[in-house]
Amino acid sequence: MSKRNNQTYKLLLSGEGGQGIQTIAKALVATSIEQGLKASYLPSFGVEQRGTPSIAYVIISNENINYPRFDSADIIMALANRAVPRISKFVTPNTDVLFDSSVIRANTFSKIAVHKFGIPATSLSREKFNPKSYNVLMYGILIKMLDLNPDISWKSLKNQLKDKFKTKKIESENKDAFEYGIEAVLERKIFFKPTFETKATINYYKNREKKGIINPARCKGCGLCIEKCPAKALSFGSDLGVFATPVPIVDLNKCIACGMCHQICPDGAIFIEKINNKENK
Amino acid sequence: MPKSWYAESKPHYFCPGCGHGVTLKQLGYAIDDMNIQEDVVFGIDIGCSLLAWNFLACDTIQTHHGRTTPVMVGYKMTKPSKVALAYMGDGGGYAIGLQSLLHAAFRNNPVTVILVNNENYAMTGGQMAPTTELGVATTTSPNGKTIEFGPGFKGPETVRSIASKDAFIARASVSNPLLLRNILKEAMETQTEKNNFSFIEVLSICPTNWKTSAEDSLKRVKEMEKYYPVGKI
Repeated sequence: MSKRNNQTYKLLLSGEGGQGIQTIAKALVATSIEQGLKASYLPSFGVEQRGTPSIAYVIISNENINYPRFDSADIIMALANRAVPRISKFVTPNTDVLFDSSVIRANTFSKIAVHKFGIPATSLSREKFNPKSYNVLMYGILIKMLDLNPDISWKSLKNQLKDKFKTKKIESENKDAFEYGIEAVLERKIFFKPTFETKATINYYKNREKKGIINPARCKGCGLCIEKCPAKALSFGSDLGVFATPVPIVDLNKCIACGMCHQICPDGAIFIEKINNKENK
Repeated sequence: MPKSWYAESKPHYFCPGCGHGVTLKQLGYAIDDMNIQEDVVFGIDIGCSLLAWNFLACDTIQTHHGRTTPVMVGYKMTKPSKVALAYMGDGGGYAIGLQSLLHAAFRNNPVTVILVNNENYAMTGGQMAPTTELGVATTTSPNGKTIEFGPGFKGPETVRSIASKDAFIARASVSNPLLLRNILKEAMETQTEKNNFSFIEVLSICPTNWKTSAEDSLKRVKEMEKYYPVGKI
């Protein structure tokens, strides 16, 4: 952001609680103030510990901000599917939508959004950096979009995350992710196949004596069923559940159809029962 | 999935592996078994338990913190044909709402109180609760709870000491879901058939705030069962 133009940027950062939305927003505001700009920040999140939409309304400007009114956004960042309905009313034809294409499909956003830029942040950070550093990568991209000074920006992020960088290794991994974000080239591709997407169909299991279903759209990957299974017939598979966690698979040869998994599952995602052979005959 | 669950609200708002989900599943099956879905009125408290506001396909009332029991007592007085369930956490039942709970037990009001005990204030970040056992580290007792804050609060025993002889008071655990269902059924039958007070404490797990895996959560609830004995009291 050059100081000559009198420009105001309205940013909307959104995601799920626990993804670091508010931390990024704080660092962004701190660094813009340090670089001589004016900024306003309004956090918005629910009462829950985790898992509900978390949104930050940020305004960065060369001039004084008299009133932090927020009707439309210039830049929207989305990190989770569940936050998308909450941000749709702030989208205009001029809005730049920046989203994590490894968890969100491009067509989840309304048709008004023309400038959609996807970056597979979660899968990139899993491959190259720390799995949790996807938000730092997104922060780097935002800094580049706003044309702020990268060195000062990294310092203010480091101030925010002081306690989280427990070892030098974590810090250097995050630094790499940040630099990757600064250098990343945003392309307008069409992203329709997220890597980490909840499996939409139900898994059916059946053999002669037993049949069962596991619904990935309900499973949160807590692992209680695996712990409780007396026959050790359950284990984590490759499908992904609600929070992009692995969904259990069942080995029907080992299963004794006791129904313990079904009784303990807090989400109602699994059900295995014996087939009544007498009725079939 | 139980018939009395409200399917459209799933996946629900509780954390992965939450004991509330297990308790509400068994409550759902108990309601199905007794065929009382039309009559149940479900009162919820502040705390994690409020996330159950659209959990069951039953009439639900959200009350002030700790005041679920008196609200349900009043409801039952005006509509005696309904089944009044008060659902709360250990913060709502034992810290702020203990007087309400004790008086309902003392008067032998025909309501069923279901209290989920996970040994901390989970929604606000895992602070120390009256039910936290000695030596357990929480965010407000990082070196373990000391005796100045009292030992773990034994709720059902306290309520038993003043409740009527006919009242049904028990403790169950999410580590044994089928026993939990039977106890819930018996408690609701106490209300519908015998018109007496019933109170159940459910020992629950909180993987998010205990920072435990599924295996360790179940191990810890087994440890809790040694201090808080399960069964009729």
